[in-house]
Amino acid sequence: MTGAAQITIAGVSHVYRPPRGRAVLALDAVSLTIQRREFVALLGPSGCGKSTLLYLIGGFLPVEQGAISVDGRPVSGPGRDRGITFQNFALFPWKTVRANVHYGLEKLGLPRAERQRRAQALIDTVGLAGFEDSYPAQLSGGMKQRCAIARMLAHEPDILLMDEPFGALDAQTRGLMQEELLGLWQRTPKTVIFVTHDVQEAVYLAQRVVVLSARPGQVKAIVETGFDRSDPGLLKSKPFVDKVDEIWHLVRAEAIKAQQGRRESSAS
Amino acid sequence: MATLIGRSLAGASLIVVLLVAWQGLALSGRVTPFMLPPLTAVLERIARDAASGELALQLGATLYRALAGFAVASVGGVALGLLVARFAALRWFFDPIISVGFPMPKIAFLPIVVLWLGFHDASKIAMVIVDAIFPVLTATIAGAQAVPRELLWSAKSMGASDRQAWREIVLPAALPELLTGLQVALPIALIVCIVAEMMTGGVGLGGAMIKAMRFADSRGVFAAIVEIALVGYVLVKLMGAARRRLLIWHPEAQR
Amino acid sequence: MSAALGRYLPLLLLALTWEAVARLGLVSSLALPALSDVAAAWWQLLASGELLTNGAASLYRAGAGLALAISIGGAVGILMAWWRPLLVVAGPLVELLYPMPKSALIPVTALWLGFGDGSKILLIFLGCMLPVTIGAFNGARGTDQALLWSARSMGAGRLGTLWDVVVPSALPEILNGIRSAIALSFVLLVSAELIVARDGLGYMIGFLGAGGVYDAMFAVVLTVALLGFAADRCYRRAMNRVLLWRL
Repeated sequence: MTGAAQITIAGVSHVYRPPRGRAVLALDAVSLTIQRREFVALLGPSGCGKSTLLYLIGGFLPVEQGAISVDGRPVSGPGRDRGITFQNFALFPWKTVRANVHYGLEKLGLPRAERQRRAQALIDTVGLAGFEDSYPAQLSGGMKQRCAIARMLAHEPDILLMDEPFGALDAQTRGLMQEELLGLWQRTPKTVIFVTHDVQEAVYLAQRVVVLSARPGQVKAIVETGFDRSDPGLLKSKPFVDKVDEIWHLVRAEAIKAQQGRRESSAS
Repeated sequence: MATLIGRSLAGASLIVVLLVAWQGLALSGRVTPFMLPPLTAVLERIARDAASGELALQLGATLYRALAGFAVASVGGVALGLLVARFAALRWFFDPIISVGFPMPKIAFLPIVVLWLGFHDASKIAMVIVDAIFPVLTATIAGAQAVPRELLWSAKSMGASDRQAWREIVLPAALPELLTGLQVALPIALIVCIVAEMMTGGVGLGGAMIKAMRFADSRGVFAAIVEIALVGYVLVKLMGAARRRLLIWHPEAQR
Repeated sequence: MSAALGRYLPLLLLALTWEAVARLGLVSSLALPALSDVAAAWWQLLASGELLTNGAASLYRAGAGLALAISIGGAVGILMAWWRPLLVVAGPLVELLYPMPKSALIPVTALWLGFGDGSKILLIFLGCMLPVTIGAFNGARGTDQALLWSARSMGAGRLGTLWDVVVPSALPEILNGIRSAIALSFVLLVSAELIVARDGLGYMIGFLGAGGVYDAMFAVVLTVALLGFAADRCYRRAMNRVLLWRL
């Protein structure tokens, strides 16, 4: 996969300014390039800025220092080319599953029949057939995230931004969703930037894991994790476990730093 | 379901007990018929007014003014509330007006409103609007500001413009809180309308009640109290049903 | 200090606009007397003692009615949460009376007690009792069961538990109920005095309006409005202080 990178992040810093209290440097001169159709994980302890970086790429937060460009063009706001899912699903609670998925399709200005066809196809793909007329409040966590993914895929973005999408799910559901996401990505490859704090999840899903340091977030390490994911015994195989261990130690060192930083700031 | 029926039976039986107590107390001789007319006399009076069309006339006038004012306060309050939540300049302008105006007894301005708009419907409706718009405004602003940013961000990443996001996402997302504001505003609309009618006289339940008072017609006064209480009760119940209908998707309805 | 000033600047702008509109003759001086004239009239009313006498009468009525509403309403609310039989009896009654417009009681209280203090005090007592009762009930009902049990196990009697555990934990809701009651008391007071009184601030407004003395009328209207606002602000400050101290 050679050629120009799809996403270029150059020297991006971000200051978080809460309405009350001191400003805080969330990201410090982060630079990173991401290739087309790559599956990249952003990993790090709480508060390291991984979600912030995702929101900057998505155009939801303004880039104040540094530059982010997608396909050569600087990011100036949200756009259809970058879809997003959140840990708390962010489904529109007053809309049914079908209506949620339809939203992006309506914005594309497609004719009605085409919208319905595509929406149904997506709902079937994520395994929510039969629940088209349910409201989010009636769905389980896993089902909500499936709906969110279907909704995101509806407007056919090139880049999928996923902010700890399986963080709120129980362990079994999480494992299932990881497999399904991987399957989906392998069938219709897109660029995926996946934020998580779970090392094993990152190593399993991603081709490259970007480890961020504790606040202010900097790129601490980038680790290649190209494993054969069709191997059913992958999660127990030695190379996999070793890789998880290696990265886990990197993250743990940062998590301890983050903990100390919090203790200091709460003592002051 | 059984508990629901059980509860309404218990409530109904209490009301029956109270009504019987009223009747008993009135007839016991411990209070004069002037101070507490017998329930039967009051009910007879209501029936008489209903038959003669008097009740419909008074009730109609009050309902028209209260609901017209409520409608304007609702639409205006929501529209203004959404704008205030969206634009910082409007927030700056309206914040002190709302925080100072809310706890004020705005009914004190009634004589001024009457001075400007006369003794008929306009002044009463205007007063209702002034009083009812505040809870709608504050609820709309609070609800709009509490919409999780992830909802707006999701919409924008799906191609919604700023304006579309506000119209299509913020309003429905804020609906539960907005409806609470409307539920608070409705009884206020009724109270204010009745007070305005009491002050200005004329047609309407409030005016009829004051007239009865001036004529020392205690049955008329009590009849009007019962009528107003029933109207208030029915309106609140209707509003509750409307809320349940509109919020059928809400987690609170899933329980 | 300057932050507070900045916050209320829009009101200052409105006041200036008022003065300008009136002075420039854009609106008839009958409909909208100039703010400066209103201020002058206010000063005169204060100096002549009229404002104070009527103000005292009004505040006495509101205060007495509120005192009764808070003490009795609060007690009833807490007892309703504490003693089931009372809840069964009084609960549906509270639910029934809640949506009733309390101002409908104005003529009947006047019918019973005339145009003097008594009818207003009774009106405010009955009308303002409900928010306090509901607040006290909700607050007391929410008392943590664990707190109650630990108090009892430490030897507190039923009454002791009531006073030492239930009341403090119910305090925030009770205090909020009282805040609603205070606002409601102003509304009921002004309404009643506009219609069925011989003195008091509400009566003054009506009297001055009928006499065509509009700048004085506006002055009293603003006085009442600002009193209501000030009462709420002061109460809120006191309430926060009590809650901070207690919690």
